[in-house]
Amino acid sequence: MKCDKFIEALGTKVKILEVTRQCDDQVTALVELNDLPEAVRFLYYDMGGYLTTMIPNDERSINKHYALYYALSMEGGKMFEGDEIAQDEKCFVTIKTLISPDSLVFPSVTPLVPACVWYEREAYDMFGLVAEGLPDKRRLVLSDDWPDNLFPLRKDAMDYRYRPDMKEHYMEPEYEFLKPEGSGIIDVPLGPLHITADEPGHFRLFCDGDTIIDADYRLFYQHRGMEKLAENRMNYDQMGYLAERVCGICGYAHAIACIEAAEKAINLEIPARAQAIRIICSEIERLHSHLLNIGLACEVTGNYNAFMHIFRIREYSMKLAELVTGGRKTYGNVVMGGLRRDMTGVEIKESLRILQIIETQVDEVWDAVMDDKRQMSRWKGVGILDKQVARDFSPVGPNIRGSGIKRDTRYDHPYDFFTKLDFNVSVVEGGDVFAREMVRYMELKSSVSIIRQCFELMPQTAIIVDPKFHVKPENYALAYVEAPRGENVHWIMQGSAQKVFRWRCRAATYNNWPSLRFQFRGNNLADAALIVCSLDPCYSCTERVTVVDIKSKKSKILTNADLKNFARTQKDSPLKDLR
Amino acid sequence: MMKLLDISKKYGEITHKYPFEPYKVADNFRGKPAYIFDLCIGCAACGIACPSNAITVQFNNDQSKLIWEFDCGRCIFCGRCDEVCPTGAIKLSEEFELAVKFDKSALIQRGELDTQYCTTCNKPFSAKRLVKYSFECLSKANVSEKRLEEAKEYLCMCPTCKKTATVATFTSGKEMVIE
Repeated sequence: MKCDKFIEALGTKVKILEVTRQCDDQVTALVELNDLPEAVRFLYYDMGGYLTTMIPNDERSINKHYALYYALSMEGGKMFEGDEIAQDEKCFVTIKTLISPDSLVFPSVTPLVPACVWYEREAYDMFGLVAEGLPDKRRLVLSDDWPDNLFPLRKDAMDYRYRPDMKEHYMEPEYEFLKPEGSGIIDVPLGPLHITADEPGHFRLFCDGDTIIDADYRLFYQHRGMEKLAENRMNYDQMGYLAERVCGICGYAHAIACIEAAEKAINLEIPARAQAIRIICSEIERLHSHLLNIGLACEVTGNYNAFMHIFRIREYSMKLAELVTGGRKTYGNVVMGGLRRDMTGVEIKESLRILQIIETQVDEVWDAVMDDKRQMSRWKGVGILDKQVARDFSPVGPNIRGSGIKRDTRYDHPYDFFTKLDFNVSVVEGGDVFAREMVRYMELKSSVSIIRQCFELMPQTAIIVDPKFHVKPENYALAYVEAPRGENVHWIMQGSAQKVFRWRCRAATYNNWPSLRFQFRGNNLADAALIVCSLDPCYSCTERVTVVDIKSKKSKILTNADLKNFARTQKDSPLKDLR
Repeated sequence: MMKLLDISKKYGEITHKYPFEPYKVADNFRGKPAYIFDLCIGCAACGIACPSNAITVQFNNDQSKLIWEFDCGRCIFCGRCDEVCPTGAIKLSEEFELAVKFDKSALIQRGELDTQYCTTCNKPFSAKRLVKYSFECLSKANVSEKRLEEAKEYLCMCPTCKKTATVATFTSGKEMVIE
């Protein structure tokens, strides 16, 4: 069976207490608490794994302990040609460990595997589990004025409707940003809103002149507590619709990941036609998301003309979504066991016509953008994500594929209809903004071809199975979907009465943030917005930026217009009168 | 740079004159659910199916009316109400212009249905139209006259009284012939 090889190898390193299998390609190994870092490191670096997600869970009602699940995608390191596990051996291995509620301490994996840093910081916020040895123990998810001893995801912590009182603004604790040592460093806060995406996120850029030497950021201003909400009041019928609202762009990918996690936990096979339509909708989402991002990458560098053209083409992909699902966004369609809405022959025919338009027009505009030397000079060599950094932090999506690592969930762990389809994984070497945009362009092309293949192979079956399934408490499974920004991973442990016991939703960008710091280093301040944009973050417009020169103690407030203008033209640095 | 201008020239003007001319949506578009009060029987199937609790069906304070209420601000346009409605009283329309100016109550639509009181204990338990609808369904179902008369009586009783009445009939020793 799949995965056995890895469990066997792991057994030679650490003592495995128990092995359980969730489904064909998912296995969980229970290890002792002290063996945890070594077990994860061994699978990550020695066996060629990438960190998919980490799930802390309050299992006191089941086994009187808290549990941690480190889910690793075993696919090979992919650092050089041939450094990859054979296609039929790729799987997910989860390392599980139990933590006593008396100590609440576990050894941190981060010093050995840097990719775990955000997950372990979140484990403290949500459950109060302390990672011993974690270099960075600041809050991650909850706001700075959140009460100290309230850990929301503990089952006995609070009612999901409870909102702790906010502290007065002057009482709010300061968030400590990681600062580089040295004199003459200028502190540039970028945020609370980001320039391109109009979503909240606060970046602190530390500059020497116009060059960024380090960066730190504070996110999660929009944490909505969906996991808590789903655990308490939603049933499976409602959860898919809640998961859709995690993101405004890749919502459909979240919906199918969430529902498929629930389906996988009970081994429910959905009809082929539903699988095909699910793929079509998620690829349509990729079309409009990538067109949005390429457009914004042009806009933020001042190329308005190209931006407008790309948005003109994007309108066709919205039209396509309207045709396939009945709304301009692909929402409100997924239910457990299949889909709600079928496609008619007329719709398929019209969709094929629109696809043809998208394909030819994307080529035209991309060709024109590539021809533009000024545009290329803004993209090339900017925001480089080093291959080794990528290996250490497990980023996903075009972000890692732009660094020459062939990681794509559709290819590594084909789900649904992907086993029957033929497509190329787009990989570009270089790791700069240009490489990432190139990956997106190539994926646009492959998405068009995938949708076309789905239409051609469209199976004539029902779209929903007879809903005679029973969820079993304490069953759990991972589901993974390649969203436009990378893989979205949902983990569901089922509870009684048609409710979930624990739902862990990990959006693609969550894995991409920790390595962003390295992408900033050494770049010009004017490119900061572009770098964040090229990550395609799921989250916003710089209202204004305060700049403080540590040396001269002079400060200056930059307006949105100032910084936007500098990002576009690279002329008249707004910082020059500070030096 | 010049290439982009060529593309602009090739495609010309592509913007719509919306809102000065109507925007044509695709067939089977999922817009605001349209409610036809005359067809509604107050069965509450839509209220149960609605995943976002946009539709609620409950009695008003003095229980004189059964209130069907739809809050468009909560609606996610999934169309489950449309699927379950037995009479087609709620259907997704092509309407997508849903913005309101300051007054959020304009998003709420309601229908007041007459309450059916239990003939035995006088407790309100359903809508008059639902009882009527059930009776009509039975009349079409090839049931004998006598059974229909019985049904008329039972339909107007609340579930608790119905249970008591059935038990009473069974235990009274009266002979029943099912025709």
